[in-house]
Amino acid sequence: MPAFDYKFQQLERLKSFKSVPEDEQYLPGHRTCAGCGPALNYRLVAKAAGKDTIFIGPTGCMYVANASYLCTPYAVSWIHAQITNAGAVASGIEAAFKIAMRKGRHTGPFPNIIVMAGDGGSVDIGLQAMSGMMYRGHKVLFICYDNESYANTGIQVSPMTPYGAATTFTPPGKEIPEGNALFPKNAPQLVIGGHPAVKYVATTTIAHPLDLMNKVRKALSKPGPTFLHILCPCPKGWLFDEKMTPDMAKLAVETGMWSMYEWEDGVYKYTNVPKKYKPVGDYMKPQGRFAHLKPEHIAKMQAFVDEKIKQVQRPIPVAAAVPTKQLA
Amino acid sequence: MAKESMMTGCRAAAEGAKAAEVEVICSYPIRPYTAIMMELAKMVADGELNAEFIHGEGEHAQVSVVLGASAAGARAYTGSSGVGVTYAMELYSPMAGGRYPVQMTIADRTLDPPGDFGSEHTDAMSTRDQGWLLGWACSPQEVYDNTLMSYRIGEDHRVMLPQMVCQDGYFISHIPDKVILGEMSQVKEFLPPYRPIHPLSLTNPVSHGPQIRPDQGAPMDAMRAQTFLAIPKVIEEATADFARIFGRKYDPFVEQYKLADAEIAFFIMGAHSNTARAAVDRLRKEGVKVGMARLRWVRPWPTHQLAEALGHVKAVGVVETSTSYGGAMRGGNLVHELRASLYDLDTRPLVTSFMGGLGGETIWPADFNYMAGILSGMVKEKRTDRYVYWLGM
Repeated sequence: MPAFDYKFQQLERLKSFKSVPEDEQYLPGHRTCAGCGPALNYRLVAKAAGKDTIFIGPTGCMYVANASYLCTPYAVSWIHAQITNAGAVASGIEAAFKIAMRKGRHTGPFPNIIVMAGDGGSVDIGLQAMSGMMYRGHKVLFICYDNESYANTGIQVSPMTPYGAATTFTPPGKEIPEGNALFPKNAPQLVIGGHPAVKYVATTTIAHPLDLMNKVRKALSKPGPTFLHILCPCPKGWLFDEKMTPDMAKLAVETGMWSMYEWEDGVYKYTNVPKKYKPVGDYMKPQGRFAHLKPEHIAKMQAFVDEKIKQVQRPIPVAAAVPTKQLA
Repeated sequence: MAKESMMTGCRAAAEGAKAAEVEVICSYPIRPYTAIMMELAKMVADGELNAEFIHGEGEHAQVSVVLGASAAGARAYTGSSGVGVTYAMELYSPMAGGRYPVQMTIADRTLDPPGDFGSEHTDAMSTRDQGWLLGWACSPQEVYDNTLMSYRIGEDHRVMLPQMVCQDGYFISHIPDKVILGEMSQVKEFLPPYRPIHPLSLTNPVSHGPQIRPDQGAPMDAMRAQTFLAIPKVIEEATADFARIFGRKYDPFVEQYKLADAEIAFFIMGAHSNTARAAVDRLRKEGVKVGMARLRWVRPWPTHQLAEALGHVKAVGVVETSTSYGGAMRGGNLVHELRASLYDLDTRPLVTSFMGGLGGETIWPADFNYMAGILSGMVKEKRTDRYVYWLGM
């Protein structure tokens, strides 16, 4: 059986803000918090993807807050998925469109099929389904909007919650002074490390909107599974002034808490690398979730970030498990 | 003259799915249903069936994949057995409430603990409150026929519900029997293509499944319940049409075997009904006025049809091949709804139940003689001494 010709549209790279389309595919009227990072992200992603898009929305903030009271803000088709299974539901949608095209029932462009999953729906309860989708090579863009907790249920720890962050499941106390004693999973590495069919993985933040939109378009230009890990600060969960959402994302990059990179055909490309990293304290001080930490905890975080930064400063090209160029 | 060949229930299910031209199949292995997917994999690989064959990462994923496929407009098919069926439990209500008419083929298997490949009906029975159509076959022929009938009924716009098509593991799934496959012209006449309502589309954007307030929930539940009032008519129409086109006539809800003048009756579902029929014939020769009512649909439960079929009988023995620990009668599942079906009759039959075939064990002809003896005793004494008998123990 020859490789399937998806016949999808190639979306142009956005050279500046002037070329960003005016059309909104994520409309006002949703019930997200003031300063919600994931909502800002949704607007940018939807704008970049355009109208030939189908979103899969697993349970989480971007389901409940967007789709309250039997309404939704999507100008494109959208389906709710369980928090457990976004990757699988997306796989089924992709397969349905493939067979519809083979049978001549669908003649339009292949849809941009995009999962909008929180950190829990990506690397915790949703990990199995995401991995299955990546393994099978479906043409789906899986976006992890990372607000570093289970926010929709009232801020509980997730595998993306930073060391030392207070959540309602990791409250600081006499016995556990740091609150959260665990270090987070590395979501992009999970995807890159074990899935030969994956075409493109990238990280970005809502403070880099043009970069974010172009990474969405680049991912959608690949004929297979892709993954974007997007930092979306959460004023409610991180306890900072809701006007400061993009500032928090910027600080994350400036302190090394968050690295911006692309992985394509086995090659890492880092961008926005600070000439001199700010200390992690600059990032943690404005956020109430870290207010309880002592100097020794901050030092532990600094050591963790210093190790991460080493990888950026000495980029070692990591070969893909199977050379991705040779896969149809 | 249609060609007759020997095939297992697993092969018959695959042939039914192939005849229905299913478009998206999601597989995952678990005994004893696995062979259904193996057969379909070969059909796809050999170009006999134009379908997307997706290797799900587990049963929860299987049901999720076909949900997405159905929402996007494809006729979708999956299946499982035993704990695979219960692992996917989260998805059954979303599927039924979302009105996605996928078909899930079940070859029954006892639930853990511990591992046991033998058949019990508890796996699929434990999903019966989730809103699917649910029924049992008692032969490979009926598996093939139910596959086609269930798509026809489930995809009817008066229904739009997913269906579980069940067969006993091993006894039906793995033992070959005579099956006549339909001609493509017959299948095309009986089963129209799937016409989704508001599928995920690029030209007509829709939202599937927004969050609701509690007060918006009750009307939705009522709509789903209302649908089940309309389904029996659709089942009757489809079963009659099936008989007209394929020449095989089924009672839509309850197979009634020598029931009309019966004084005692077995109420039974699935594979062991074959033994029951032979037992009825043998006991009749000995002068026992016994009959059999074989249930074909658990959902929708044929309340009035059962009252009509069994109302005149003096004692009914429910043969249970599923468990309901702590249930009202402390036995199986069928007895509760059977008693509920008979409750409003002016004269009610005596009812007892027999736990049989559990673990995948055989129910022997001698067991049916034993059951008939119990039932005859109940008629003579005009009372039920016990509500649950465990056969062979």
